[in-house]
Amino acid sequence: MEDESPRKRPLGKAGGLLAAPLFVWMLALVVMPNLILVGYAFCDRDGLGQVVPSFSLDAFTRLADPTYVRTLARSLRLSAVATALCLVIGYPVGYFIGRASKRWQGKLLLLVMIPFWTSFLVRTYAWMILLRSEGVINALLQYTHLASSPVDMLYTEGAVLIGIVYAYLPFTILPIYGSAEKLDGALIEAAANLGARPFRTFTRVILPLTRPGIVAGALFVFIPSIGMFAIPDLMGGGRVPLVGNVIQNQFGQGRNWPFGAALGVVLLVMFLSLLAFALRKDGEEALHR
Amino acid sequence: MRSRRSFFAAASAVVVTALTALGCSSDGSGSGSGATTGPATAKAAPQLVLFGWSEYIPEAVIQGFTKETGITLLSETFSSNEEMLAKLLAGATPYDLIQPSEYVVEALIKANKLETLDPAAVPNMKNIAPEMRGFPHDPNYKYCAPYMAGTVGIVVNTEKVKDPIKGYKDVFQEKYKGRIVVLNDAREMVAWSLATLGIGPNDITPDTLAKAKPVLTDWLKLVKVFDSDSPKTAMLNGDVDLGVVWSGEAAILYEKDKKYSFVLPEEGAHLYIDHLCIPAGAKNKQGAELFINYILRPEVSKIISDKFPYLNPNAEARKLLTEAQRANPASYPPALMDKSKKSETFRDIGKAGADVDQLITDLKAAN
Repeated sequence: MEDESPRKRPLGKAGGLLAAPLFVWMLALVVMPNLILVGYAFCDRDGLGQVVPSFSLDAFTRLADPTYVRTLARSLRLSAVATALCLVIGYPVGYFIGRASKRWQGKLLLLVMIPFWTSFLVRTYAWMILLRSEGVINALLQYTHLASSPVDMLYTEGAVLIGIVYAYLPFTILPIYGSAEKLDGALIEAAANLGARPFRTFTRVILPLTRPGIVAGALFVFIPSIGMFAIPDLMGGGRVPLVGNVIQNQFGQGRNWPFGAALGVVLLVMFLSLLAFALRKDGEEALHR
Repeated sequence: MRSRRSFFAAASAVVVTALTALGCSSDGSGSGSGATTGPATAKAAPQLVLFGWSEYIPEAVIQGFTKETGITLLSETFSSNEEMLAKLLAGATPYDLIQPSEYVVEALIKANKLETLDPAAVPNMKNIAPEMRGFPHDPNYKYCAPYMAGTVGIVVNTEKVKDPIKGYKDVFQEKYKGRIVVLNDAREMVAWSLATLGIGPNDITPDTLAKAKPVLTDWLKLVKVFDSDSPKTAMLNGDVDLGVVWSGEAAILYEKDKKYSFVLPEEGAHLYIDHLCIPAGAKNKQGAELFINYILRPEVSKIISDKFPYLNPNAEARKLLTEAQRANPASYPPALMDKSKKSETFRDIGKAGADVDQLITDLKAAN
């Protein structure tokens, strides 16, 4: 986001050369696959599920079916809730780490990162062991007589939310930490000196200044969680299909790659517009500053 | 698709696949430069690339084959027929052996993607039980050899469910709401609902799907977990008490605890058969046939049954199993072993698969 600032120095020849691998990488592994995806969406398929290079709009007409509109709406809702939860939980954590002394920052960040040393699936299974009927939490609830019979926790929408929030929380904490760390403490003191109460200081000074971190943190949760399919399958019992599950199925059992690609294109367009919107707002703000 | 793995296995399979893919390409270039390891048989090249289901071929079998023939087996694994199909058709890796289920065999034969087997090279085909022959996908096993078979049936935790369960209709009752696990497989679910209507599993038309829809609408509301990979987990964890699952999963549950009883649905069950076949253009057809013949040996086939309690199509191998193994009702459901009745298998339904898929997605999304 600072990259947008007009004071940026142009890249020299050597710099360009150093950045070349990045361009090749982006071209080969980001741009090309997405172009292929868009191409597939307009193709037909044969009985074996192979993509046939003949123009067809079948995939897009099927998108209009209310089933898929509903599925997409449900995915958006769930991702929005997960993002909100991540922000509510992640903001205080990120801010606290950002304002902690240097000695502590490293240690606290390490604590946030350590779970990444374990496979994502293993961590999801760990949650399943906690939440299942004969699991740790239920055993504890019954032992303490807080519940007389097992509480249904696993295989519910709540479990899916827990899974998503847990998986993506570090992605909210880290950018917010980045913003909070750069926050000049003198500004907070100045606000207090000018008579602002803590709440007002927070809403008028701290929140606007950590906004880039909040936006980045929100996007890092919202975008990947929409396409998520493993957590709804494992922790939600595969009961409620999210758009990620539908897409995965088209490339598997459904044997309908063009339709899967079309759904992918819808998500792609959505994310790009979201990103463009976020960047533009940031650009505008940079100008006003 | 079939439950031969957990997600753990799938995750490690990805790693193994990546490694074998690497190993493959380097070995491939290496073998061109001349003699490689092992006392290879004169005719067959010393390497085979096998693309099979994960957790399906015991390591002991593979090692035994290598020890005897000197042919190294590079194996890659998949977890659904469609995954296998996609990679096979992409053509990046030259597989010598693949392990598809019956409806995929049919589709591959239609598309001329399989080599025929030389009957002289696979004499052990004679061991295949008579009731495991004559299925429409490949009636005379010209293109493939059956590896293992199974069915889909009902598993009941008899400690929790006291009422008799005989068929799908007894499972999908309001009183069992939230206590049921089923395979997360659109084609299967549709086949079960059609069975209760007296319609065969391959009669998939807009008309029959319309008839299946109200049945499935009622059923899907009652289900707690949809899981094709390891439906037994939800049973073992006590999250559900009833399930419609792969017979192999039920057999494992039964081996763990006799309270899990297996019921072949009275409305009708279908048989699935997994095979070994040689994809068209395989580099080492002779080696592949050697392997198929090896697998069909009774004593080798027995090792597979010891490890994975599926229905073994090899009649001679069955004779080597223990009484307890043969009596496992989930491995060898008595009704299915009745030689007078031919069990139905899935046929290739081509593009209609998309309609089946859409119906289930639709109904799940409506819940």
